[in-house]
Amino acid sequence: MREFAVGLISSNYATDELGLLVKERNIATIPYAGRYRLVDFPLSNMVNSGLRTIGVITPYTYRSLIDHIGAGRNWFLDRSNGGLFILPGTIFGVSNTKARFLLRDINRNSIFMKRTPAPYVVITATSTIYNYDYNELIESHRNSGADITILTHTAYEDDENLYHAIINNERVASFQSGVKKGEEAFTDCFVINTNTLFDIINTYAAVDYLDLFEAIQNDFNRYYIRNHHFNGYCQSFFTTKQYFENSMNLLDIEVYRELFRNDRPIMTKIHGTIPTKYESGCKVTNSLVQEGSNISGVIDNSVIFRNVTVKPGAKIKNCIIMQSCVIEENTVLENAIIDRNNTIAKGSTIKGSKTSPIILEKKAEYKR
Amino acid sequence: MRKKQCIAMLLAGGQGSRLTALTKNMAKPAVSFGGKYRMIDFSLSNCANSHIDTVGVLTQYKPFKLNAYIQNGRFWDLNDREGGVFILPPYATESGGSWYNGTADAIYRNLDFLDMYDSEYVLILSGDHLYKMNYKKMLDAHIANDADATISVMQVPWEDVKRFGTLEVDDTDRITKFVEKDPKSKSNLASMGIYIFTTKLLKKALIEDSKNKDSEHDFGKNIIPKMIEDGRKLYCYRFDGFWRDVGTIKSYYETSMDLLNDESEIDLFKSDEFKIMSNSIIYAPGYIGEEASVDNCIIANACQVLGSAENSILSNGVIIEKNAKVSNSILLPGAKVEAGASVQKAIIGENAIIKTKCKLGSNKKDAEISVLGNDCVYQGGDL
Repeated sequence: MREFAVGLISSNYATDELGLLVKERNIATIPYAGRYRLVDFPLSNMVNSGLRTIGVITPYTYRSLIDHIGAGRNWFLDRSNGGLFILPGTIFGVSNTKARFLLRDINRNSIFMKRTPAPYVVITATSTIYNYDYNELIESHRNSGADITILTHTAYEDDENLYHAIINNERVASFQSGVKKGEEAFTDCFVINTNTLFDIINTYAAVDYLDLFEAIQNDFNRYYIRNHHFNGYCQSFFTTKQYFENSMNLLDIEVYRELFRNDRPIMTKIHGTIPTKYESGCKVTNSLVQEGSNISGVIDNSVIFRNVTVKPGAKIKNCIIMQSCVIEENTVLENAIIDRNNTIAKGSTIKGSKTSPIILEKKAEYKR
Repeated sequence: MRKKQCIAMLLAGGQGSRLTALTKNMAKPAVSFGGKYRMIDFSLSNCANSHIDTVGVLTQYKPFKLNAYIQNGRFWDLNDREGGVFILPPYATESGGSWYNGTADAIYRNLDFLDMYDSEYVLILSGDHLYKMNYKKMLDAHIANDADATISVMQVPWEDVKRFGTLEVDDTDRITKFVEKDPKSKSNLASMGIYIFTTKLLKKALIEDSKNKDSEHDFGKNIIPKMIEDGRKLYCYRFDGFWRDVGTIKSYYETSMDLLNDESEIDLFKSDEFKIMSNSIIYAPGYIGEEASVDNCIIANACQVLGSAENSILSNGVIIEKNAKVSNSILLPGAKVEAGASVQKAIIGENAIIKTKCKLGSNKKDAEISVLGNDCVYQGGDL
């Protein structure tokens, strides 16, 4: 079968500003929205768009990523033709932390694209998420005859980690590090002609320690680079503050319905947990609650992951409680991110502020 | 291929007609239960958890929802290289074909399948019972007794004896008599419809039975009594966990509502070791809105609760809009209660809709259970 496009997910980059959330993980596997990991979004978008050959360039700390995606069966990528390809990222990614599309990573794994001859490659990072049909991007790219079409959206706020795409006469003239509210921001996703990609790999082989767009930044007239504007809702994850705000924004039913629409489901690793039990006397409002939990206390404005126990008298507000946490009686939690396997002792109080939530790091799974 | 010790044949062709509106467009084993499960999850998970990796699923009545749900068995780890799930509908041969005519006939018509796997033992199951059981232990007992057949039994209250096939046994638990639904039965050991046969003997019995024009080709009515009569070694295997065959709306409702009771004897979901698996890949976490209230509820994923829910089970994808009130009810997957509507003591079928401001059912003590069928729209008035 000849593919119309192959997918490439690049996750070999890091940021210190995600702090404890990425201590034993990477951006791609940050737990999000009660049951997902960030990588679920690009992976599901690609599968929902009909892509069936997808490579994932792994980050330096890849254990959690491989644990999560395995052979890709939850995305229906355990296939005879095509499927999921784990592409080892170079260790080089550690020092050049912000480069999302390291040329060397693409070059060292280019055999993946050579073996599946498709006219286009959809390449995306994992730090900006949305629910999108990539066919719209591919269609726009094909119709324009561009070499590269990047997906952009209007920045909701200033963000120094995103790139501002400067558009001139329907061409992307250059990239600027950092974007201001209202400017056109690069979503870290683009479609590229396979031939163009190989041309870039060959031409810039000597500087393959650079990000693809860094490498070609002085040659923007050599390639025809366009943008396609994305109107939907998207969220970026580079700092813990963003992680917290994005989680709170999920509690807007319109956002929830757009990200988790029935016709394009976000797929993830399944755990076979039982439905959540809301006990008599509990009070839950404006919250997202994953299966497997048992809730007796008061929860407002929060995201609860699987297998969480909230005991009577516990009060949780503006919090993210990750899997297998136990919130004991009469605790007060406000503006906090409680990573997995934490037990919050009876009567204790943990209060952060909206702008700087308190983060409790992941606890060991088994006590020996 | 490695010779198998035991394969399972799962009877899933029944309509379950007493569940009325709930089985309008699907077989009983496909009926939703407990928020995110379907009845067949229990026997499929039991097989997987008992390391039985080859399961024939015999289908007949409206099988498509069931087939689509089972897929290749991967959700139950039953997509094994040397086995897996096989959907077995009636099929034609050189001498023609016909529908499955009784439980024994269904197995008889798939003797080729048994031959293909040539396992030493065959486990016969129903696809619509709710229980958790390690079949391996039953098989161990079967082998230890050197039995020809082993029937799983449980003690039932004497007043229920008339609803079951009951077994009289000697002091070694060898079965001496089997009677179908007899209120005067001298035993309250009820058959759970779970049988292990030594394959060679089962084949012989099925072939014999197929030639008997007076037979109803039923395990309980014909095969088992005949084997006892022939002096075969049949033993019972005692089970003391929770087991239910929810055949009626009333028992479906009561068993479901019992899940909300923390002191209930239902142990279906309590252990992590022996987990009930289901096909539920696509659902986002549940959403509880700003003005919502939930009290004593089981809520599955992808539910959107903007109104209030009390003493209820909300299955995957249920939507309760603003100012809608649901109490003492079971909402099956995809059901929707529109703004301002009210649902009391009811079972709302899959993808059924209660239109805005309509009131269905009553919480009054002696009120009947209201049932809105799958895909139905309620706009007020009588059901």
